[in-house]
Amino acid sequence: MFLENMIKIWQRYDYVFINGLFGTLWLALITVVVGTILGTLVALMRLSHSRILYGITGVYIEVLRGTPILLQLYFFWLLLPKIVPVTMSDTACIIVALIVNSSAYVAEVIRAGIQAVDKGQTEAAKSLGMSDRNMMQHIILPQAVKNILPALGNEFIVMVKETSLASVFFVGELMTAYKTVQSTTFLALPSLTIAGLIYLIVTFVLTKLLRLLERRLQASD
Amino acid sequence: MTKQVQDQVLIRVEGLSKSFGKLHVLKQIDQHVNLGEVVSIIGPSGSGKSTFLRCLNLLEIPEEGHIWFDGVDITGRDGANARRRLFSKAGGIDIDKHRQKIGMVFQHFNVFPNLTVLENITLAPVLEKKEPKAQAVARAEELLERVGLLDKRDEYPRKLSGGQKQRLAIVRALAMEPEVILFDEPTSALDPEMVKDVLTVIRDLAESGMTTVIVTHEMGFAREVSDRVLFMEDGRIAEEGTPEEIFGSPKNPRTAEFLSKVL
Ligand SMILES: Nc1ncnc2c1ncn2[C@@H]1O[C@H](COP(=O)(O)OP(=O)(O)O)[C@@H](O)[C@H]1O
Ligand SMILES: [Mg+2]
Repeated sequence: MFLENMIKIWQRYDYVFINGLFGTLWLALITVVVGTILGTLVALMRLSHSRILYGITGVYIEVLRGTPILLQLYFFWLLLPKIVPVTMSDTACIIVALIVNSSAYVAEVIRAGIQAVDKGQTEAAKSLGMSDRNMMQHIILPQAVKNILPALGNEFIVMVKETSLASVFFVGELMTAYKTVQSTTFLALPSLTIAGLIYLIVTFVLTKLLRLLERRLQASD
Repeated sequence: MTKQVQDQVLIRVEGLSKSFGKLHVLKQIDQHVNLGEVVSIIGPSGSGKSTFLRCLNLLEIPEEGHIWFDGVDITGRDGANARRRLFSKAGGIDIDKHRQKIGMVFQHFNVFPNLTVLENITLAPVLEKKEPKAQAVARAEELLERVGLLDKRDEYPRKLSGGQKQRLAIVRALAMEPEVILFDEPTSALDPEMVKDVLTVIRDLAESGMTTVIVTHEMGFAREVSDRVLFMEDGRIAEEGTPEEIFGSPKNPRTAEFLSKVL
């Protein structure tokens, strides 16, 4: 009976779920990509000689990691339309919130990745008279990437799941797809199970791919 | 020794002090290095040899004292404020430009694993001295030839042995055409069979007239190549003299005691 319902739902509404999945993957991707750019800036500010930048970025990271992501989504959803001169859709507000949230986690990942590079590399670059900027760009960051990439992959997998919170605001993604289907079929549990299975398959595949990447990176040492 | 040590001071150190927290590592050191001179620093582990060397190119910032390089006080006029001044170019000293004149070779090589052998050598000259790429490559190849590594020019350092890595590190430092080169125990991390190749490169360099300061536990080598030997203990230069004086008839009983342990 349950299985039959699931099959029926899938046959009729597969495109809704699949569109939802693409929404989810797209949301997670843009969040992590833009979050990485922003997070790199935050990490570099945190590692700079400036105490002020160190302090500001410290607060930034603490606040974003110390409050629930759902709260942050509400916060930006309420705040942005008030302060931004152009009209912003709910989706845009939520994307900004997700990016900002992700940047805090990514910043810590990048900072740790940079600090894991052997201190001797910094000293060698400095002893050659290299500027901080050139040292970062040509010596430290290329080596830190190996430490950072797997963690970024992980952040992507986390985001595939976390973006489900965007369904609260009916942003097009997999959890919203579930809501749409259950509200027309009134078959909540089978619909939810389908969404769950899709999440499971996607995170499973992504995790496997990540392991593969990690092994590749290790082999190149 | 055939070469002539000119009596021109390249580095002068006065009242140099450095602490790590409560630990007094360097205590009021006065020293100098002449142009073309080869100075060895020996002494027990923890006596401050590395810290002294690292102060010379400001990898460590001394709290007190002055370091004149080519007649310029690189610590700023007032040692007490040296740290603040060094990190702002407004202080008048460009720390990067200063370091370009001082090569350094480390115990653990610190070659850049993400760059090929050739790139390791050409990176800093091209980026920091705006040297034309072709010229930098040509000189890098010449240097590699000299240390027997030319066939490795396109390899990554992970393919090199310890001794080859250290020779690469030396060549990388030389490519900046420094006025002095500092060695911090360059052979201590090497397997015994690789020590000789590296020492040969350093000896050739020293004999070619390059101003050299070397911290080493290779007493035979220090005796052979040095113009002057410093014995360091507990943050001070406890004794200095020619190799004959230090190794032949040390005046300080602590020097004698140290030498009797390591020889
Ligand atoms: N960055 C540092 N922080 C704290 N202590 C240090 C640091 N570098 C060196 N020291 C300490 O300073 C002392 C002298 O060290 P070092 O100059 O490396 O001696 P050496 O090279 O003669 O063995 C040692 O006791 C060492 O533990
Ligand atoms: Mg040492």
